[in-house]
Amino acid sequence: MTTHGRAAEESAFVRTYTLTRGRTKPRHLLGLETVLEAGLGRPGPAQAEECEEILALCRERRRSVVELAGRLGRPVTAVKVLVSDLLDADALVVPLTQSYADTGAGSGPSTQLLAALSAGLKRKWPDAVAYPQAG
Amino acid sequence: MPSPIPRPDDPAAVLRSSPLPRAGAPTVLKIVIAGGFGAGKTTAVSAVSEITPLSTEEYLTEASTDVDSLAGIEAKQTTTVAFDFGRLSLPDAPTPLELFLFGTPGQDRFVDLWYDLSRGAVGAVVLVDTRRLKSSFTPISFFEDIGLPFVVAVNQFDGAHRYHPEQVRTALELPASVPVVTCDARDPNHVAGVLLTLVDHAVNNATTSRARHAPSTTLQDA
Repeated sequence: MTTHGRAAEESAFVRTYTLTRGRTKPRHLLGLETVLEAGLGRPGPAQAEECEEILALCRERRRSVVELAGRLGRPVTAVKVLVSDLLDADALVVPLTQSYADTGAGSGPSTQLLAALSAGLKRKWPDAVAYPQAG
Repeated sequence: MPSPIPRPDDPAAVLRSSPLPRAGAPTVLKIVIAGGFGAGKTTAVSAVSEITPLSTEEYLTEASTDVDSLAGIEAKQTTTVAFDFGRLSLPDAPTPLELFLFGTPGQDRFVDLWYDLSRGAVGAVVLVDTRRLKSSFTPISFFEDIGLPFVVAVNQFDGAHRYHPEQVRTALELPASVPVVTCDARDPNHVAGVLLTLVDHAVNNATTSRARHAPSTTLQDA
């Protein structure tokens, strides 16, 4: 990376933490794939413009933390800080899912979910072929 | 390879720390697509994703003095890592599902990110470019170490020599239990086929590991 590139990266870093008012840790434990929906609450005053963008995106459909970060072009950590603010204001809520989170850290999805995934993929791509199991 | 260390930020805590969750959302599952630079990760994600793959950035704090041969940056406190995100919904599945796909770079300085992406994942696809086999070693040993089911998919680039999957298996020293398949990462049917292979493999893994040592988890197996 060039000197210019590094300077640009550093200034992006500073911009990011201006956005979060210096905070580097989100108050809520959010995963990359934590899904968010717009809630009934309203964000507090003097929120970053990005908070409005997040709310607008989540009003269209449920969005994950990782998708919000990608669409805003902001690092995931910064987006988690802003999302935490919006969760505190009930402007965002985490919908109840039976996602992998329920199975606890370290273990993958249940065999029932895997079977459902397999069936869902086959319905979506009837021409896709699973290769025979080796060994 | 560093050994898997339990991470404090357990996403299972999300539901406890968040206000009133609402019912009725589809279940989210995720699959990691790893591979060296230019192996076709973004192409594969975009072949099946319903959205144009998003390039998402995260800051990683690194103590390592490793120099990335591509970027050539010296050791520093914080580095930016970009990864791809795509998603597809499977409303016709027996339970409504949404599948998240994460395309992640193959260098080992990104191991912290791999932990985050791998936690609770269905499994991983290691996308291989036979012209740069070496870049597949790091992700392969990572997934082996943490016990995440994975398949190796050889992306058949136009003009590259076509190796038989068994030749690739030998070169990568993969056990017979790991599926090795070929695909064209641009073709949705191929990529969906690779995903199906992975799901079947994950089911087999879960069944055999459960049969062998009843209530243990895949992480402990590793």
